Amino acid sequence: MTITTGDRPPARPGAHRRHTSRWVAGVALVAGAALVALLASSPQQTATEVDTPLVGQAAPGITGPTLSGGSFDLSAWRGRWVVVNFFASWCPPCQQEQPELVAFAYAHRSPGDAALVGVVFDDAASTARGFMQSTGASWPAVVDAGGQIALDYGVRGPPETFIVSPEGIVVAHFDGPMTNAGLDYWLTRAKRGDV
Amino acid sequence: MSPVGRRGAWRRVSWVALAAVIGVALAVGASRGSPSPTVAQRVQAIDALVRCPSCEGISVADSSASTAVAIRDAVTARVRAGQSDAQIDAFLVSRYGPSILLRPPVHGATAWVWFVPPAALVVAAAGLTMELWRRRSRAPVAVSAEDRALVRRAQAERAALSGGGPEVVRAP
Repeated sequence: MTITTGDRPPARPGAHRRHTSRWVAGVALVAGAALVALLASSPQQTATEVDTPLVGQAAPGITGPTLSGGSFDLSAWRGRWVVVNFFASWCPPCQQEQPELVAFAYAHRSPGDAALVGVVFDDAASTARGFMQSTGASWPAVVDAGGQIALDYGVRGPPETFIVSPEGIVVAHFDGPMTNAGLDYWLTRAKRGDV
Repeated sequence: MSPVGRRGAWRRVSWVALAAVIGVALAVGASRGSPSPTVAQRVQAIDALVRCPSCEGISVADSSASTAVAIRDAVTARVRAGQSDAQIDAFLVSRYGPSILLRPPVHGATAWVWFVPPAALVVAAAGLTMELWRRRSRAPVAVSAEDRALVRRAQAERAALSGGGPEVVRAP
């Protein structure tokens, strides 16, 4: 005679371990996906103000040929606020900030209170020119042959931005991609003498 | 003179001779000096102590980054213009800050890095010398009759325990 109890048959050895392994794998997969999502959605880089020896000092001269074939001399811009931006076409944060700089330049064109000048950092003139044209940038960009302008400003890597007062004094130095709003904020503070 | 006294005298003479040899060697080394370095040697020496601004922990001399190349060019131009090492360092610090120098400056907050180790060495040497001198000049311990009796008693007890006779105690 066969006795049936109606209970489930006893688990085979190893089945419990396989079950646990599946759980662990599932949790690891979810955690990995969450990490990837977190990294992908992390905010973009932003500029930080850096305290360098040049702040409060006379801005080093910027002279040289521009990407558009003209020539530039910073001293000729004395009397208005100047934003000096070191950039390169190969640098992602420069690509990130470029539309913001375009907006800033556009907003300040009519008032004429502030002007933007770019300095090409370790980039071929043709590539930098293409980058400027493709983004609609119309401000002068100076070719820094030999990197001497970057050295004079103590630039470590692009993008770095300086605000120069109408008297030719460096009032602020930023490392990282600027925004239009950020530039306006700092410019307003600089005009008030808050920096 | 006793053999002990003669040994001491010889030791003093050998120390004086050693000090004289070191002094003469230092004097000769300092007076001979080294031939003035060439521009390339000076540039190389300065570049080796300047941090590449766009690199991680390597000198301008060891880097091919554009910032390092620009600094090398600037250093070369300034050496050729007759500037001193201190003037060139000051220029770089005025642009990048003190962290541009791999060698901490001798003034300001980092001065202790230069002064503490030699000062600690001098203090340690002085302390050691004083301690040795004090030990040498310490008066010999006077042994009283009571001490001798105590030692004799202890030796007698020890001999009794081990079954032998009392040991002879010599006066120090």
